Amino acid sequence: MTRKGKRITVIAGGAMFLTAAASLTVYALGQRASYFFMPTELQAAQLDPGQRIRLGGLVETGTIKHGASTDVFFSVTDNERSVPVSFHGILPDLFREGQGVITEGTLGADGVFVADSVLAKHDETYMPKEVADGLKAKGVWKAE
Amino acid sequence: MSVEAGHFALVLAFALALIQSTVPLLGTRWNDRRMMAASGPVAITGFVLTLIAFAALTLAYAQSDFSLQNVYENSHSLKPMIFKLSGVWGNHEGSMLLWVLILTLFGAAVAAFGENLPPSLKANVLAVQGMIGAAFFLFILVTSNPFARLDPAPIEGQDLNPVLQDIGLAIHPPLLYLGYVGFSVCFSFAVAALIEGRIDAAWARWVRPWTLAAWVFLTGGIAMGSYWAYYELGWGGFWFWDPVENASFMPWLAGTALLHSALVMEKRSALKVWTILLAILTFSLSLLGTFLVRSGVLTSVHAFATDPTRGVFILGILSVFVGGSLALFAFRASALTTGGLFHPISREGSLVLNNLFLTTATATVLIGTLYPLALEAVTGTKISVGAPFFNLTFGLIIFPLLLLVPFGTMLAWKRGDALAAAQRLLGAAALALGAMLVTGLVSEPRSIFAVVGIGIGVWLLAGVATDLALRAGLPRAGFGTALHRVAGLPRSAIGTMLAHAGLGVTVLGLVGALAFGREAVVAVKPGEQVAVGAYTMRFEGLSSEPGPNFSSRIARFSLLDAAGSPHATIASAKRFYPVRRMPTTEAGIRTMWLGQLYVSIGEERADGALVVHAWWKPLVTLIWGGALLMMAGGTLSLLDRRLRVGAPSRRARPVAAPVPAE
Amino acid sequence: MVFWFIAALLTLGASLAVLLPLSSRAEADETDAAYDIQVYRDQLAEVDRDLARGTISAGDAAEAKAEIGRRILRVDQEAKAEKGFARFRASRLVAAAAVLFVPVFSWGVYAAVGSPDLPSEPLEARLTKPPAQSSVDELVARAERQLRANPEDGKGWETIAPVYLRLDRFEQAETAFEQSIRLLGPNSSRELGLAEAMVGAARGQISEEARAAYQRVLALDPRNARAQFRLATASLQAGRSDEAAAGWNAMLQTLPQGSPWRDAAQQALGALQQPARPGPTQQDIAAAETMSAADRGQMVEGMVASLDQKLSEQPNDLDGWLRLVRSYAVLGRSSDAGAALQRANVALKGNADAERQLALLAQSLNLLVAQP
Repeated sequence: MTRKGKRITVIAGGAMFLTAAASLTVYALGQRASYFFMPTELQAAQLDPGQRIRLGGLVETGTIKHGASTDVFFSVTDNERSVPVSFHGILPDLFREGQGVITEGTLGADGVFVADSVLAKHDETYMPKEVADGLKAKGVWKAE
Repeated sequence: MSVEAGHFALVLAFALALIQSTVPLLGTRWNDRRMMAASGPVAITGFVLTLIAFAALTLAYAQSDFSLQNVYENSHSLKPMIFKLSGVWGNHEGSMLLWVLILTLFGAAVAAFGENLPPSLKANVLAVQGMIGAAFFLFILVTSNPFARLDPAPIEGQDLNPVLQDIGLAIHPPLLYLGYVGFSVCFSFAVAALIEGRIDAAWARWVRPWTLAAWVFLTGGIAMGSYWAYYELGWGGFWFWDPVENASFMPWLAGTALLHSALVMEKRSALKVWTILLAILTFSLSLLGTFLVRSGVLTSVHAFATDPTRGVFILGILSVFVGGSLALFAFRASALTTGGLFHPISREGSLVLNNLFLTTATATVLIGTLYPLALEAVTGTKISVGAPFFNLTFGLIIFPLLLLVPFGTMLAWKRGDALAAAQRLLGAAALALGAMLVTGLVSEPRSIFAVVGIGIGVWLLAGVATDLALRAGLPRAGFGTALHRVAGLPRSAIGTMLAHAGLGVTVLGLVGALAFGREAVVAVKPGEQVAVGAYTMRFEGLSSEPGPNFSSRIARFSLLDAAGSPHATIASAKRFYPVRRMPTTEAGIRTMWLGQLYVSIGEERADGALVVHAWWKPLVTLIWGGALLMMAGGTLSLLDRRLRVGAPSRRARPVAAPVPAE
Repeated sequence: MVFWFIAALLTLGASLAVLLPLSSRAEADETDAAYDIQVYRDQLAEVDRDLARGTISAGDAAEAKAEIGRRILRVDQEAKAEKGFARFRASRLVAAAAVLFVPVFSWGVYAAVGSPDLPSEPLEARLTKPPAQSSVDELVARAERQLRANPEDGKGWETIAPVYLRLDRFEQAETAFEQSIRLLGPNSSRELGLAEAMVGAARGQISEEARAAYQRVLALDPRNARAQFRLATASLQAGRSDEAAAGWNAMLQTLPQGSPWRDAAQQALGALQQPARPGPTQQDIAAAETMSAADRGQMVEGMVASLDQKLSEQPNDLDGWLRLVRSYAVLGRSSDAGAALQRANVALKGNADAERQLALLAQSLNLLVAQP
């Protein structure tokens, strides 16, 4: 192969790799990113079965119930609608009634959101940013 | 008195940073040696003044001087001394002071140890370093002054965020900053070279120790941070692809690429433009990390309490330095001469591939981290890009790189022989395939990830072993000669092998913890048992114990042996810090061989049962053990005598020195 | 004074760091190229070592050395092109300006951001200075420290307990009274303090435990007016207004004319018979008892809002402001509490007593007042 030919091969190889990496990234962003919903938005959302999403809002007061073993049930609300959530595991330290929370998982056919992770930040004044924005937009939560 | 003296010292350091960023630069323009030489003493004095400021703040923390707003907001008189001290950088203002302290430390180090640098390069490097310093001193004094006072002084402080009251956090930020900020030296070298318009192979030699040092510290900082999150958050995970973690990981990836491309530049005078660009990008990513963590655009476990004005200010600094240096780059890069040529299949070629993979991986992490922010800004849609995205993209891109590492080290400079390299690696490949086969047959559950992961780990380690054996002249040379030759290898060669072996070890740790880990979530009453993996624990009960500034509920578990009798205990606790009204989790961890049994407790239920989450994570310690190996490798390379080329001197100019006994 | 001395010393040091190198004699130094060549010499030596070690072939070594040799040649050419050292008059000007800049700039900036007359206040020193110079908070902190070291010191608990009560730190007051009772035995004033602390902590609600404590006070001191009054209030809170009226009537009979508690009892009786008064009436309170938690929260919020409104119109009301700030703090709305505090400070500016009380309240609530 000539020197020029070699150079073209190398450049073509690099370009192919970069194209592959770029399309992989775009694909993964489409498939693996999870959308964030507040309970009211969830009502209108078109979800594929089994699609992972994040559901945020406040833990509705009086809805925390412990089931068999380590199952926990509670509702996440944006003060307009609330969505029942089931979770199996240890709740974060700062999980409390009325606190902002983000859960991640899938929405079951029965309307119960099956969460595999529950996030509440390690801070007493913390309101997850998405939840705060969402509640502000609804006028439910006053910015301090 | 000491407080205000510290405050004054900080202002003085700002003044000196302004001098440092102008006078030496004019000196190189006018070719005035004295003005260039001024950069050294000014940089060292600036560091001493910043150190005084930092010491004053530390003293105020140690003495619980609540007349400082910063101490009042982040400390408490009952806190143990170690956390009073680490509290200095457990908050935004104090950590910024640490940031500039380390920046000036690196400037002073260049001034003190850079006697082998050409005077004009040294002056320019220190001038750029001074500019970065001046920008951040201004930032601190205007938006985040740790010396703001309260009058009258409150009698008690508000305590440090309990999650941060941990020995891991005492060490993690300083290490991380040493890494982040260490790359500022590479940046300054790059910009200085662009200002001068003269870049050659020697430049790469001069930057190498600084790149290595920053890389070693950043490796340590990231590993420490990961271990901290692992045992303090109680989630059992060690890496969350959290934006703040990514912010430290991106400079690490780019810095690793820089380390490799600078090697080509030093050896062959090639890849000059690319190396300069990487040096600029690496520090830019460090600055981006600083911006992301402190501006409030991100929410993360690690993010500091934030303030929009600070964000805007750092964004300003970021755009000035990144934009300015890239503009200079665009302006000057074309003037740089190209260096030595090489065949695609050669050591240079493999290092180019390494750079291609590493920078692409950096780019995917950057995209994954910034995409949600951009999308929200543009369309208002909120998405989260987490582990599923990064595991797929980063994993797939880094996989071929790991495969190629042993090949690269086998190839000769300039023209390599791929076939010969493959032949030499036959043994290593057989070993790796064997390990994959065994994993596939024995492991339960069987997963592709486990098989491939174990294969890669073994392949990397076997590759290093092959490299070592070949350099020792095995199998032809006798064992004694081989040993002698290994002892005679340059330290940087051994360092490379250690770092690559560390990579293999970390891969094994990741696979062990992720593919072979077991977990169990159960609610237990005292006397009941928790089984996870091959281990059984008995829950002995809960007790309350007071701590200095917290109270804790401690759950004790007895580890039962095969016969059912206890032979060890694990204590897992929940702490409550009354000042901040915050609970924290203290996971109970027991290391057994290379794996760890990890127990985290949840709420106590009304029926007296305790929710327990237990994990068995085989090989997990290797993740951090590998990082330690990488650090050791980097340090060893740093100690290589070749990095200590002396300054030229008229009095005794040594002719090419004879081979010293190394 | 010491500060100014240190500041001057630091300034001197910093100025010298600029001055000395700029005024030193320029040494006839090596050219930049010499430094490059030094590196390349080392690279040559390295190739030799590699060759000796057998890691590279003789051919490769020769090639590498030739390449390094070319680098040396190029650098040498550049070195010849390098211009000699110059020294313009401008650089002398720059030197003078730089040396002057350091003190002028730093003292100027420090004057703007620093507070040179505020001393450091290490906690240890604050807690060991003579009590006469200490603030109430410092005295309390000092007593707390002693009690931590020696929690069995009944006298200590006895001393600090009423101070807590006065500072409205009810939970701590409760603990302190409990400890003093445990260590020194019950007497009427300790039991009374305990009960008052419980009521304070419960924001005026008299719990069963508090009631029991008041009864113990009466057992020890049957004529204690405060305990009598509170027990009657407790009956009212429990909805037994006849019993309450009976209690207050009894006080009217036993207490001498002019006793403040007699007046209080009279007022309470009046209020009982004629409940239409502004503010939370007895019915309001009674209604609050039966409301759901959420409704009660709403009612409380409503009352606080109307107080806030009132203070906006008539700001010259210290008690009102204190109540508003405390209410916000109790409701957990700390930023509102801070804002109210700030408004109060503005409204009552110049009233030294009011400012002091507001500052005390701020400290006891751990509120941070933004410096104006």
